[in-house]
Amino acid sequence: MVSNTNGTRPSERIKFVGELGAALRAQQPLFVGLCVIAALWQISTYFLPRIIAPPLQEIAVAMWQIFSDYQQFVHLLTTGLRVFVALIVSFIIGAVFGIAMGTFDEVSKYAKPLLHFIQGIPALSWVVFAVIWFANVELRIGFILLIVTMPAFALYIDGAVRSVNLDFVHLGQAFRANWTQRFYMITIPAIVPEVMSAWVVNLGAGVRVAMVAELIGSTAGVGFQLLNAQALFDMAGAIAWTLSLVALLSVYLGVIRFVEFRLLAWRPKGERQ
Amino acid sequence: MTGPAPILFANVSKTFLKHDGTPFFACRELSFEVKAREIVAIVGETGCGKSTSFNMLLGLQKPDVGDIQVLGLDPFSESDALRGQVGIIFQNDRLLPWRTAIENISFGLEVLNIPLTQRRQTAEKWLERVGLKGFADAYPHELSGGMRQRVSIARAFAIEPKILYADEAFTALDELTAERIRKDLLELIRETAITTLFITHSVAEAVDIAQRILVFGRPGCLISEIDCEENRATGKSTHEIEQLIRESLRIAHETIPTEEVGRADGVASKERESI
Repeated sequence: MVSNTNGTRPSERIKFVGELGAALRAQQPLFVGLCVIAALWQISTYFLPRIIAPPLQEIAVAMWQIFSDYQQFVHLLTTGLRVFVALIVSFIIGAVFGIAMGTFDEVSKYAKPLLHFIQGIPALSWVVFAVIWFANVELRIGFILLIVTMPAFALYIDGAVRSVNLDFVHLGQAFRANWTQRFYMITIPAIVPEVMSAWVVNLGAGVRVAMVAELIGSTAGVGFQLLNAQALFDMAGAIAWTLSLVALLSVYLGVIRFVEFRLLAWRPKGERQ
Repeated sequence: MTGPAPILFANVSKTFLKHDGTPFFACRELSFEVKAREIVAIVGETGCGKSTSFNMLLGLQKPDVGDIQVLGLDPFSESDALRGQVGIIFQNDRLLPWRTAIENISFGLEVLNIPLTQRRQTAEKWLERVGLKGFADAYPHELSGGMRQRVSIARAFAIEPKILYADEAFTALDELTAERIRKDLLELIRETAITTLFITHSVAEAVDIAQRILVFGRPGCLISEIDCEENRATGKSTHEIEQLIRESLRIAHETIPTEEVGRADGVASKERESI
């Protein structure tokens, strides 16, 4: 049991390092799986033409170029930044909608069907609409990312607000906390787990949609580079860009997991993801 | 005692609607008062309106008819004016799982906008007072049921309220722990001379704590009032007082109108839906 009463938790760092180690150990099957795939790939390169299955060393060189050459790396950064900014904006708008929907039934009554309708439209359709509607590339990609990810944020947060434990709401009311106090003392901490889940889900969706948007209507970004690789029949380049994107996604997921770990440190170990 | 009673129920009735639309009385013409510094317990079987009365006292529900006053104020419409005046101990501790013990104790102080340093000091004082020094930074899941209820008690007292409500505060605990915490709580109540209203279904607990006991029957009405101190003064033992209460409860049970049998939990209410 923690016995420190001065507001700091010195054992937390040790706890964090320990849990990080455990998290890495938990990824062991993934590393094993990747090694198996790499080995099978390398074997296949002896039997298939290079244009279909380039050897691992060729992919590694292409990847090295992406990360060592700024002219190439900037494309990865561009995609990363686009996804990051769009998700932040999407989260803010989605949170406002979600909280309003979770708090006021009338808002939910009208907004929810609309959000479900938007969610039902394929991402590719939004790409086509955006290309027609917007001349500016960044606006175009931002719009697509926003329209695809915002409903999920809103619906997740709506659900989270609605499922705040009524006992806690009554506690706030019984202590005569006003609406604002109840909101930041009870509602916000209570919805954090759902918000984090929404981020994980939307991050994957956001990266996928960003790729499609960049493939069709951009002159920068990983999607654009994939298009180039396709045009040049550069399989090693296509794989290298894809792996770079996976690496970017992993970094983002790591950040989300870290934030989640910090914000949900209060949860019993078994309840944490 | 002088001045108006801190807690006053005057002809209070509260009706809920059953799922089939027929009305169900949770309280009917309920009248009682709790005088300043008095310790009063409400006992009654399940569905006798104890929780509804408690919710109305907290201002979570509005009576259909009648008047409820807490420190001369209507707890429903003048809720803000009662901020910091009432401490509450719930049946389940209702500790916020994302707050440490000390942060949970500070909850009411934060509502009162007490500065951080001051509320930390007050919370630490109460943490020590309830015997949990050294557990300031423990989260609720790291504490036992008894410890959690102690934190809940500290949270109620930390705001230095004028009135204390306790709704079946020991029901979730084992007998030994409940007895220990009950003893400590009684000590705190006597030390702070706070007006206290206990809601319990345990006759023994009521006799152990209260100076006066209100026996509730269905539908949410006062069946009898037993003054423990008066009875003790006339030489009655604790056991005899308990027997008196049990007899009242038996009479209350036998006089339940058949159409009133049922629980408030199983019916719809406009207020319940609107919370």
